[in-house]
Amino acid sequence: MSILLDRETRVVVQGITGRVGRAQTKWMLEYGTNIVAGVTPGKGGEEVEGIPVYDTVAEAVAERRAEASVFFVPPAAVKDAARETIESGIGLMVIVTEHVPIHDVMELKAYATDKGARLLGPTSPGIITPGQSKIGIMPGNMFRAGRIGVISRSGTLCYEICADLAEAGLGQSTAVGMGADPVVFTNMPELIELFDQDPETDLVVIVGEVGGTQEENASRFIAQRMTKPVVAYIAGHHVPEGKRMGHAGAIIQGGMGTAQSKSAALKQVGVEVAEYPLEVVELVRRRLIPH
Amino acid sequence: MRLFEFEGSRVFHREGIPIPDYALVSSPREARHKAEEIGLPVVIKAQVLTGGRGLVGGVQVAETLDQAEEVAQRILGSVVRGLPVYQVMVAKKVPVEREFYLGVTVDGYHGVPVVILSTAGGVSIEETARDKPELVVSRQVPITAGLNLTEAEKMAQEAGLGGEELIRVAATLHTLYRVFRKYDLLVAEINPLVRTRQGNYLALDAKVEIDDSSLYRHPELQLSQENRISNPLERKGKQIGITYVDLDGDIGIVASGAGLGMATMDIISRRFRPANFLETGGAITADLLYQVMELVLQKKGLKAVFINLYGGINPIHEGAKGIVHYLQEHRTNIPIVARAFGNRQEETWQILQEGGVRVVTEVSTEKGVEQLARLLKGER
Repeated sequence: MSILLDRETRVVVQGITGRVGRAQTKWMLEYGTNIVAGVTPGKGGEEVEGIPVYDTVAEAVAERRAEASVFFVPPAAVKDAARETIESGIGLMVIVTEHVPIHDVMELKAYATDKGARLLGPTSPGIITPGQSKIGIMPGNMFRAGRIGVISRSGTLCYEICADLAEAGLGQSTAVGMGADPVVFTNMPELIELFDQDPETDLVVIVGEVGGTQEENASRFIAQRMTKPVVAYIAGHHVPEGKRMGHAGAIIQGGMGTAQSKSAALKQVGVEVAEYPLEVVELVRRRLIPH
Repeated sequence: MRLFEFEGSRVFHREGIPIPDYALVSSPREARHKAEEIGLPVVIKAQVLTGGRGLVGGVQVAETLDQAEEVAQRILGSVVRGLPVYQVMVAKKVPVEREFYLGVTVDGYHGVPVVILSTAGGVSIEETARDKPELVVSRQVPITAGLNLTEAEKMAQEAGLGGEELIRVAATLHTLYRVFRKYDLLVAEINPLVRTRQGNYLALDAKVEIDDSSLYRHPELQLSQENRISNPLERKGKQIGITYVDLDGDIGIVASGAGLGMATMDIISRRFRPANFLETGGAITADLLYQVMELVLQKKGLKAVFINLYGGINPIHEGAKGIVHYLQEHRTNIPIVARAFGNRQEETWQILQEGGVRVVTEVSTEKGVEQLARLLKGER
């Protein structure tokens, strides 16, 4: 089924009555996402795009059997809302919200790990299984169905590279936006492992960027366990040291976490690493065993 | 957001971590006056948001009042590691017997706080960790349990401390962790913590960085935005809520995400030199892109501007309206090339084209940059 998401997945939209929540709900429905409920405290009984709204996630689970959730909830409310969602038994959550306090993320990550829930984000563009379903804000017209798994730290760059691949006839099984913050709920190796186990994925593309150690940890995992070919591109070869490039995660400090060092770590374990986005297409073609 | 030393010291003092007597001044006369009040000798320290001030003359000792005035005169208005000095701290110089390093930061990958203790104070912890790793003791802290005092004491013991020293250093580390949690910090570092000849334990520096996303819940810190960003274009970027990084090339860049912006820089750098990095974040509006155009075109000596947008949270045509609105009000001869994809992209292209922008409808930023190159060569 690709990974994490398919056309059957029953989705609840949290923060559905907000301006962004409404617009994104409409676009997700148009794409084919199986949205079964919305949640906004105090707005229970309303409808958005024909979708029933509940006050609590527990109701959405009990009455509509929601199993995955997408968050359009303000940053200060994410921690409590996410705890409620995990307690209600939802196993997969996409936190689209930007600017969630990092200490809240650390607390929530510990809680989610304890309860066995999988969260993506914060600042995640979402998950898309092209042709079936998307939960998040990814523009659906940039993707096409196929057998390549894509894992990206950046949202916009994920769209760019998937569009490049799609243009070349190379569709995606699933594309996952991990989120761009310094601390994210699900790390890169966990997603690589899911794609490795997915019979509908032939190759994995990693879209990384400067800062942090996700790609270094990914290369360790790839060396030890990965059975499928991997292609990568790390953005930020020309980033000056000590400057935050947008989100707080993207910063080179003390010479660590550069695009060059990450690319080298991945190359060392046999990953084909592109120097610019479009080169990913050539490298994928080269590595892909034709079906 | 990085805090100035005096702001960090104020937090430490408030939370019970002792620091030497100090005053914050912005003129040599005041420096003299405060040095007299505090008592000689004093240390005069440039208040700039960078490390390694001491190595470039940003931290100096004054033994007399005349010297205090002279040193303050020299440091105030000077530039330390590229940053202008508007204020100096005048602090009591204490006789140091031993130095320690204490730090708390975030292990981003594991998503947990990390506490670090070292008996090699006064030098950078990265250097110590590289050259003498045996002198560094560190622990990941489970965030729900926190760092208890016993654990801090064990760390101190492991670092080779004993007796009174063990108790005092561990207590300070324990407090530092509490401060880290209370104020939503990303970095809380005392380097050095010193034991004075009199047996006092004082924090001689404060490196504190707070999570920008948590600033809203810390009004008590009364942090002002003033003097934090010295580059006027970068400061303007911060004011309108986007990230602008000034670079030394001549192709302006506007991107709707950090990853895309960095990739755009990578591609443009193969033939040209970027004048800036600029990323708007996902929530593009007409008003925001109007301000973005105003900002990106302020840079002197631009040859062209390359705009690279994907709609995400909002439909992309809104942003296009802002770009065109700006260009209608402010004529420019600088060629502007734009890519824009996402919801309502055809409508967006039409708006941009009618506004005099060269629109690239091909997928791939590389193709867009090829068009930019042709345009700059005078080809149509």
